Amino acid sequence: MNKRIKTLYVIWYREVLIYLRNGVKFFTSIFLPILILVFFGTGLKTMLPSTILNYDFVQFFFPGVLGLSISVMAVSSTMSIVWDREFGFLKEILVSPISRSDIILGKILGATTTALIQGALILLITPYLGINFSKWLFIETVFVILLVSYGMAALGVFLVSRLKRMESFSIVSQIIIAPMAFLSGAFFPLSNTPSWMVKIAQYNPLAYGIDALRWVTLSESLAQEEISLLTNHSLLVCIIVLLAFNFVITFLSVRVFNKSIY
Amino acid sequence: MGTLSEKVEQIIEESQNDTSEVIQVGNLKKRYTNITALNGVSFSVKRGEVFGLLGPNGAGKTTTINILCTLSQPSSGVAYVNGYDVVHESAEVRNSIGLLFQETILDNHLTAEENLYLHAMLYGLSRKEYFERKKDLLKFCELWNKRKAKVETFSGGMKRRLELARALIHHPQVLFLDEPTIGLDPQTRKKIWDYIFSLRKKKNITIFLTTQYLSEAENCDRVAILDNGIIVALDRPENLKRMIGEDIISFRTENNQIAEREFQEKFSKFPIKRVGKELRVKVDNGDKFLPILVKAISPRIISMELRRPTLEDVFLEITGRKIRENNKEINEEEEEEKFDLSSLFSIFGPSNKKNE
Repeated sequence: MNKRIKTLYVIWYREVLIYLRNGVKFFTSIFLPILILVFFGTGLKTMLPSTILNYDFVQFFFPGVLGLSISVMAVSSTMSIVWDREFGFLKEILVSPISRSDIILGKILGATTTALIQGALILLITPYLGINFSKWLFIETVFVILLVSYGMAALGVFLVSRLKRMESFSIVSQIIIAPMAFLSGAFFPLSNTPSWMVKIAQYNPLAYGIDALRWVTLSESLAQEEISLLTNHSLLVCIIVLLAFNFVITFLSVRVFNKSIY
Repeated sequence: MGTLSEKVEQIIEESQNDTSEVIQVGNLKKRYTNITALNGVSFSVKRGEVFGLLGPNGAGKTTTINILCTLSQPSSGVAYVNGYDVVHESAEVRNSIGLLFQETILDNHLTAEENLYLHAMLYGLSRKEYFERKKDLLKFCELWNKRKAKVETFSGGMKRRLELARALIHHPQVLFLDEPTIGLDPQTRKKIWDYIFSLRKKKNITIFLTTQYLSEAENCDRVAILDNGIIVALDRPENLKRMIGEDIISFRTENNQIAEREFQEKFSKFPIKRVGKELRVKVDNGDKFLPILVKAISPRIISMELRRPTLEDVFLEITGRKIRENNKEINEEEEEEKFDLSSLFSIFGPSNKKNE
């Protein structure tokens, strides 16, 4: 068991090291979400003043941007698998005595960590966006971020395990990640959309993630009834669905990776 | 057919207890969707031996290594490394081998030391062991002064040496070297071989290598020649060379046809062969035979050469072609595959979907 933790640590360590060494990626991963929140959010707010909505638009927008940022971060971090395959380093890992499922768990945990670092840093700007935050709430939010980014990282591994070239990633992001993002309720509340959209969205794990983030981050800024108008599912349902999804997708990604070539 | 493979399996099971054989391969086959890479390969390697697997590109050398180091699975047949089954005991196999791949695979963003560290951790070495081995091996490969430099600043030869150090850090029983000197200049190539052969003396390690530079394989204890997925010859290099005669005389005349006929009439006991524009003869005592030959042939001789047979000649004799004759074709194919802009749209094409 001790040995297993050690091997998981090596894979995780390398993953995080790549993220932290790549200064540009690190910077943009924090900068872009803030840019979207400050400029895009403030701009949209002028079209949707508080007189129409009974809440501040940026308050609504923040959990969505946070959720999407960590999701994209988690998925794109798993691209290191394709990178390693293209440059051969994956072979070096695959011929070591580590089992393939440990390699995958290490990769997922590494990608989760990068998303977690990003998410925690974005949380630090909440006081400037008119969202009330406390220490306890910070911990709660980090927990939900962990759930969401783990699921997205595992989904990323599941999707990229078989890719051979970096270019193929744009296909994954267009065909799978983009629809997931639009149907997640990050940009608009799904509760007001036509029923067919709601129907599709209920199969979207990210929609539950965004809902969960919205419940947690806004819990000290808005009343419960107001948040329930912005979300489709209760916090409990969201957490259960996320846990179930994480469990299933971990299993699937290990299976896919076991069958993949080097 | 079933009885044959059963027999092979039986032989292998019997010899499994014998620790003197560190690699055992029985009737190994590997089929891909449209080609057969290996078509029934059997051999064994003794502990402490330097074993060379030779053959042209696409003969199945890398496929064999990949199966032996558990990177791919055989379609049928059995293979044991260090007494472990490569299919069912892959973790144990991987623990007892070190590998140098055809292509250099180091993490370029990390330093030489960090590369070794990650590897040592992957193989479960303790910190103390790692520090001891690191110093030992980096000095052996003459990279101790460069240990804190990033790998991207290294030359091709230095990277190869670092890979060698990395492959050795976890005390492997067998070292697999897949084309260890490909893409290096002759001087560096020689140096890498010096390291590899000094290793055998110092560490008593079994070395399994593939190469297409046949001159480099002359120093192996035994070589197997692989062609189209089957082993066509397996012996000590000297024996293989003896097999095709003592000396080789190749010569060109103004009229090869007449020369060939005359030769066959006068010296029917020596075989003659036409290779390109040359005639090639195998004789026992080349230096004494040369003047006789010159007198015996009437067309004017343009050039003449006498030499001892090399493995290249063995290969030519057995397969009927030179080892790198068909390389160009294969290289072009490989490049085509890499240059593939359409991969962006490959998801829409059902034929390419499988590759993803």
